[in-house]
Amino acid sequence: MPTKLSTGRRGVERLPAAMGADRRPARRGPSLWLAAPALALFGVFAIVPLLGVLALSFTDWDGLGSPAWAGLSNWARILADPLTHEAFVLTVKVTVFSWLTQAPLSLLLGVFMAGRQRYRAVLSVLFFLPLLFSAAAVGIAFKSLLDPNFGIGAAFGVGWLSQDWLGNPRLALWVVLFVIAWCFVPFHSLLYQAGVRQIPASLYEAARLDRANGVQQFFLITLPQLKYTIITSSTLMVVGSLTYFDLIFVLTGGGPGNGTRILPLHMYLLGFRSYDMGGASVVGVFLVVVGLTVSLALNRLSGAHKMESQMEGL
Amino acid sequence: MNIRTGIKRPNVLAGLGGFAWLGVIVLPIYFILLTSLRPRTDYFTENPLSIPSRPTLDAYQQVLENNFLLYFGNSVIVTVASVFVILLVSLMAAYVVVRNRSKPARRIFQFFLLGIAIPIQATIIPVYYLIVQLGLYDTLWALILPSIAFSIPLSVMILSNFLRDVPGELFESMTIDGAGQAKMLWSLVLPMSRPAIVTVGIYDALQVWNGFLFPLVLTQSAHARVIPLSLWSYQGEFTMNIPAVLAAVVISVIPLLTAYIIGRRQLVSGLTAGFGK
Amino acid sequence: MKSLTNRALAVVSALALALSSAACSAGTGPDPTGTGPANATAENATAWALTGGSEEAFRASFDRWNSSHPDATIEAEWFANDAYKEKIRTSVGSGNAPTLIYSWAGGTLADYVKNGSVADISSAVAGLSSKVLPSVLANGQIDGKTYAIPNNQSQPAILFYNKKLLAQAGVSGVPTTYSELLDAVAKLKAAGITPISLAGQSKWPELMYIQYLTDRIGGPEVFQAILDGKKGAWSDPAITEALTKIQELVNAGAFGDAFGSVTADSGADTALVHTGKAAMVLQGAWVYPDFLNNAADFVAAGDLGFANFPAVGSGKGDPANIVGNPANFWSVSAAASAGAQKTATDYLDAEIYSPQMIADLLAVGAVPPVIGLEDEIAKADNPEFLGFVYSMVKDAPHFQLSWDQALPARQGQALLDNLAAIFLGQQTPEQFVTAMNATLV
Repeated sequence: MPTKLSTGRRGVERLPAAMGADRRPARRGPSLWLAAPALALFGVFAIVPLLGVLALSFTDWDGLGSPAWAGLSNWARILADPLTHEAFVLTVKVTVFSWLTQAPLSLLLGVFMAGRQRYRAVLSVLFFLPLLFSAAAVGIAFKSLLDPNFGIGAAFGVGWLSQDWLGNPRLALWVVLFVIAWCFVPFHSLLYQAGVRQIPASLYEAARLDRANGVQQFFLITLPQLKYTIITSSTLMVVGSLTYFDLIFVLTGGGPGNGTRILPLHMYLLGFRSYDMGGASVVGVFLVVVGLTVSLALNRLSGAHKMESQMEGL
Repeated sequence: MNIRTGIKRPNVLAGLGGFAWLGVIVLPIYFILLTSLRPRTDYFTENPLSIPSRPTLDAYQQVLENNFLLYFGNSVIVTVASVFVILLVSLMAAYVVVRNRSKPARRIFQFFLLGIAIPIQATIIPVYYLIVQLGLYDTLWALILPSIAFSIPLSVMILSNFLRDVPGELFESMTIDGAGQAKMLWSLVLPMSRPAIVTVGIYDALQVWNGFLFPLVLTQSAHARVIPLSLWSYQGEFTMNIPAVLAAVVISVIPLLTAYIIGRRQLVSGLTAGFGK
Repeated sequence: MKSLTNRALAVVSALALALSSAACSAGTGPDPTGTGPANATAENATAWALTGGSEEAFRASFDRWNSSHPDATIEAEWFANDAYKEKIRTSVGSGNAPTLIYSWAGGTLADYVKNGSVADISSAVAGLSSKVLPSVLANGQIDGKTYAIPNNQSQPAILFYNKKLLAQAGVSGVPTTYSELLDAVAKLKAAGITPISLAGQSKWPELMYIQYLTDRIGGPEVFQAILDGKKGAWSDPAITEALTKIQELVNAGAFGDAFGSVTADSGADTALVHTGKAAMVLQGAWVYPDFLNNAADFVAAGDLGFANFPAVGSGKGDPANIVGNPANFWSVSAAASAGAQKTATDYLDAEIYSPQMIADLLAVGAVPPVIGLEDEIAKADNPEFLGFVYSMVKDAPHFQLSWDQALPARQGQALLDNLAAIFLGQQTPEQFVTAMNATLV
């Protein structure tokens, strides 16, 4: 196909004819109908629920029977619930700390993996492995590994290792953050690896001529050149923080107490353990708003909306 | 010729760091593998990181005897069906977004962009309600349809970013040759966007295969159970038989591991290409 | 013309969608269990039950029924406790309930009845009423009609203990009063043994402590007031004292420092006792079969002891009172087809507490709440434990259903969450009382 296309008469030559005879299709391109299936599926199973979560937040529904109108009572109740406040603070903590740990770690690993030494290539192959595990698998594996009685604590006979990693309120959140990093750093370091490899070699050569050492090169060239990768990766991390539900659900179930009950988990537990679907929907609306705000803000920041302006220029 | 990091002498610090991270990555995997080979009774008594003194495949046998193949089949069906539909409809939509310059087309794109920012967890309760009302609860449909819907935005974005780089002349010359929409899609859009399709396909397949929330909320019986959920339910079924639970974890990873070994390059570039700058 | 092709394309893609889905429905096939009335064929019925505990007796019972009724079989599906509790309500709510619905009676059953989700089976199972202890049977009745009947053993919460470990720490016999318990805790801790194993991540095992302590201190009336929804009912001084004692135990190291991540679903709490890491565990009688399965040698050697919860010196409650689950129950889904409902009630009539089922239950170490079992128990394996539970249940002046099951779901969950905070020392008894009173409004 491509051969035929490239040997064919050049479009430019025939342009006047096209403008005349078949003006509309040429200017407007493919019919909007082609987007219909995607729009329909997305509309019914994503946008309708999006509006639905708002509607349900004003109803009382215990999972049996039908939702009944409840006005603002769910909102008043859930927003006053100390558990919701706790969950909110936890979510902010998880978001901030997972960014603080994952971003630098991924960046360093990405730079490391981009190196061409043979051992680095081998290590990179192994670094990928956590990406193959589902969140459920990771949760189950770490839960047994961190078991205070039969897990890693029993392996080395070292006192400080036999902590109740997931059961101690002072430790659990940090352990969860560590497991999240185990899961997601591999992906982000891949992004950085790809980013680093796109940096033109000439920049480094010039820097070397200027006698810049490795550390200087990192700060003067690597870091600024990775600007867009950093923004992409950070956006994914921040929005992703709202999706750590499954991992935490399997790992701690929100415990100890409510020590790791982040908002998405709070919503699930309200909905499917307390059967307070209306209250859970209030949390859902809140999550949607936070998700949208964060992404739009980061979008502005990163100038990713130039994609749209690019389009307008088409 | 591509040494870009500009490191001439071996960077000891980086090497040490790399191996430290390797330890972090490998230790849990080592533990999973070893424990899955340990007899159930030894789990309580042996050092958890020692080589099993009496290795056995009992745990694997127990997993396979507990419907694992059924769950595996369900996962395959859900993943293949979802990814196929996602690719089909997203490619058509991306084609419209890139080549149709009308205002509605631009609105469509913005509409999809919006979708990327929605955390799917947030809408799970109405999704549940919708699925129940449609009579799809506890069927594989209940997993396929929402999985498709929530993958469309990102897929359309990646595909259209890619299609945008295809020279406009190609489309125009084909239009002039009198090619219809179908021919255009089939002979130009599809072949030209193959790398992006691979990217999107791999990314979505990983998402769907490993998805946990939809199966947890939208299915209940063993007949509609997929692998990630089966791991969770094994945990309750195999009371305190940790080796069997971890054996299930090992088996659940095998398909993806195989894919990784065969197509490592595509998988890695597939995962990152869509998010490049 | 062009737009026609486009429309055709859209149709084709819709078709492809339909095809791919046809492929997948072919994959799942016609659901053989027919979970849901819509696809339950004529007479076949479905049931969901729990793994562990009396699972073997249920399996045997279904097998017996199915082999003699090939045209009206019951297909069972097995769930872990926590997973089941999350699933059953949504399945009942979505009209996909199994024909036989397993429950703990209490608040959930009341909700089912209120929504018309379960059938009135009074006449179909009338024969049972002469067999079963009336106090247990009453749990399945609402407004004089029977909506659920007990289906397995009585499950009082029992203090199981490892005799060897107690002796090793110099504790003479199992504690019978609260002060003896504190004493034993101190000695065990000094000997480097975790005194009591507690599945803190599951949260519900923690309920047994507040339930027993409240009952011992203030009697059953305290919780009855809460159940009746009396304003401020959680402010009863007995609740506060019970919570204070719980924190006293925690601070004394009674549960070790690693209870927060232990789960009961996987049997990790009982494993700690039979592997010699913890001396005692307060758990439902349903864990006895797990001890038999997972540590047969330990039980056979006579190392497993069992006792009622200690008395509290000055308390009002009768120390013979028990808490836990009087039994589990079967209800019949009102959404099931008439044929399936008939199969279900026929099954209940024929199998529940049939001589064979009773024998099976006793064989796995489970005591059904059936009248006049003394002789069967004497003949069974492990008569000591069976007899202990049987008289415990029969002679108890009051058998309190687990609070999380007795209360409406929303209050039950709030209770579990706040109680977990008490055990972790993140909340004072006063904060707990305030938070729980707020749920009664």
